[in-house]
Amino acid sequence: MPKCKINGQEVEVEAGTTIIEAFKKLDSEIAHYCYHPGLSVAGVCRLCMVEIEGNPRLQIACNTVVQDGMVINNNSEKVKETVKWGLDFHLINHPLDCPICDQAGECELQIQYMKFGQYDPEMAEPKVKKNKVVDLGSKIVLDSERCILCSRCVRFTEEVSKTNELGIFNRGDRSEIGTFDGKPLENDYAVNTVDICPVGALTSKDFRFRQRVWYLKNKETVCPGCSTGCNVKSYYNEEGLFRVKPRQNDEVNGYWMCDKGRDTYKFVNKENRLLEPKVGQSGQWDSQEVDGVMSVMSTKIDDAVKSAGSDKVALVLTGQYTSEEYASMLSYFVGHLKSKNVYHWVNNPESFDEFDGLLLRGDRNPNTKGLLNGLDQHGITAPWSDLETKLNAGDIEVLLVAGPEDPSVFPTLTEKVSLFSKAKNLFWMSAAKTEAADSATTKTWQIPLKTYAEKEGTFVNHKGIEQKIQPMVNIVDCAQTLSEVASALSGQKVDHLGSLVKDRKTNHFINHHGGGL
Amino acid sequence: MAFSQETIEFIKKECQRYETRRSAILPCLYRAQKEDPNNQVTPEAVAEMATLMELPEVQINEVLHFYTMYNKKPVGKLHVQVCTNISCSMNGGREMAEHLCKEFNVNYEEVSSDGRYTISRVECLGSCDTAPMMQVNDKYHENLTKEEAVKLLKDM
Ligand code: SF4
Ligand code: SF4
Ligand code: FES
Ligand code: FES
Repeated sequence: MPKCKINGQEVEVEAGTTIIEAFKKLDSEIAHYCYHPGLSVAGVCRLCMVEIEGNPRLQIACNTVVQDGMVINNNSEKVKETVKWGLDFHLINHPLDCPICDQAGECELQIQYMKFGQYDPEMAEPKVKKNKVVDLGSKIVLDSERCILCSRCVRFTEEVSKTNELGIFNRGDRSEIGTFDGKPLENDYAVNTVDICPVGALTSKDFRFRQRVWYLKNKETVCPGCSTGCNVKSYYNEEGLFRVKPRQNDEVNGYWMCDKGRDTYKFVNKENRLLEPKVGQSGQWDSQEVDGVMSVMSTKIDDAVKSAGSDKVALVLTGQYTSEEYASMLSYFVGHLKSKNVYHWVNNPESFDEFDGLLLRGDRNPNTKGLLNGLDQHGITAPWSDLETKLNAGDIEVLLVAGPEDPSVFPTLTEKVSLFSKAKNLFWMSAAKTEAADSATTKTWQIPLKTYAEKEGTFVNHKGIEQKIQPMVNIVDCAQTLSEVASALSGQKVDHLGSLVKDRKTNHFINHHGGGL
Repeated sequence: MAFSQETIEFIKKECQRYETRRSAILPCLYRAQKEDPNNQVTPEAVAEMATLMELPEVQINEVLHFYTMYNKKPVGKLHVQVCTNISCSMNGGREMAEHLCKEFNVNYEEVSSDGRYTISRVECLGSCDTAPMMQVNDKYHENLTKEEAVKLLKDM
């Protein structure tokens, strides 16, 4: 394995490693625009200049392989001067419209200018004007003037999504990113180009002009959009979540995520949430307090069990919750009620086993595996058809359903609610406000649950990899986790829950640690 | 307009000729332009090439738009490219180009109403020693005056 010295620091790397990768290995800073670890090398931005001892000319680090004994630096005056002028070339035709640019605050031009630039530009020629609003389809807008032609986006559509929408047209300072004959950039991974665009040339229609990035905080979590469980960062403030971006995990998602996963912030926000418990049926609903509903639920279950046995009570679970929540719900059912009437609601059986070959899976739940593990542990094997038979026969007195967190992945929601309405009493637990649930035709209590952004816990992805989520915001104060429901039902802390909800901090800036009471 | 059988065969053969099919884009674009009644390469032609060459349309389009020798708009029977780089300009190249436009009543890069002429200004054509000069379709005409240029073109 070749050894080299980078800015005085010795490092040993695999044969074939490029100098820029060696810099990354040392966590040593190096300016670059076109290099991206998930794409092929282009070597076009000329910013990653390094000085190699014995070599009179500077070299680009992204396309030079480390040789044994190389002595490399990127902190000499010569390198700094070169990067500075390289940057000046990038800025010749750049509009410098940071005040109205969405990338401001996370723009590589700004970052490198603050490090290497801070000069007065010497270019006196007028700037080349280009199209500032190129509509690239339903998700992305291009500002050609801001583009520095790093070609990352082009390489992404060629190498990763393999959809080949983007290209560089024309020549010299007229060069522009574009699509063939005005075709849109429409593929399931398109918004990754917005992430890798180092400047504000490609912006997401969903996010642009909505927030200044420095007003957003972010936390690492896991995308709940499907059983792949891409590692992501969610960006939020006191009003809720605003966007989701991928973070690297070679075992799970590499550097990317799908565009469906980008929407998983939406169902967390207030406008789509069930905001308080309510009781009623067929569109007629009255508000309730959480502790009230909890004690009704507990009484109903006790009564049903006492009069007719635990067979009259059933629980339906979907793959949308954390392993910890399944564990507490199942141990309440199996341990406390001595019932194995637990059923797995597969939301989309037709497309459940699909896979698009890149990341997105047909199982649009984050934790089906966790649920199946839980059911296995308790030896629960009852098929869905059992539940249907019992409901149709009018054999279910009390039905608990932990329904959708993201209703958009439940295509047969209304149908299912009308099936569940055959139970005498329905306890519908869900984070979402849905017309389907409001249409329930039996006596129903709706209980708001927390979403993945408000609790901690574990998701097990399709490969069996366990990944943690963490709370970041508190959107619906009275929302419960299934674990909280289970402990309330086991006769613990029902009173405490009531007072807790009233006293809970309503300052949404505070990240309370949900789950732990 | 679909390609002729000969062009289709030409394109298929060119694709075998190089290490990668991408390398065959240049000759195939030329062929497509030659065959077009307006001496241009249309998006439809690019789409047809893409299918024949099994390449993404966008990669062919990149090459098409990089080179000015490929026409993206219709051009007249006679494509008159007047050099306006240094040597030619010093010897009256720019004025010659202006004059041709007036004479044939046409703007740069447009087709005259009789369909015969398109006048373009281009960079150095490597014939500086015989400035000013113009290229009409594939042929160079050198050491010109405005009047000679007009006569030459009228007689073609
Ligand atoms: S649009 Fe962005 S990613 Fe694409 S070439 Fe321009 S700067 Fe690079
Ligand atoms: S592939 Fe699945 S886990 Fe990954 S971003 Fe898309 S929906 Fe989320
Ligand atoms: S990162 Fe090396 S040339 Fe762009
Ligand atoms: S300047 Fe006209 S041919 Fe060179």
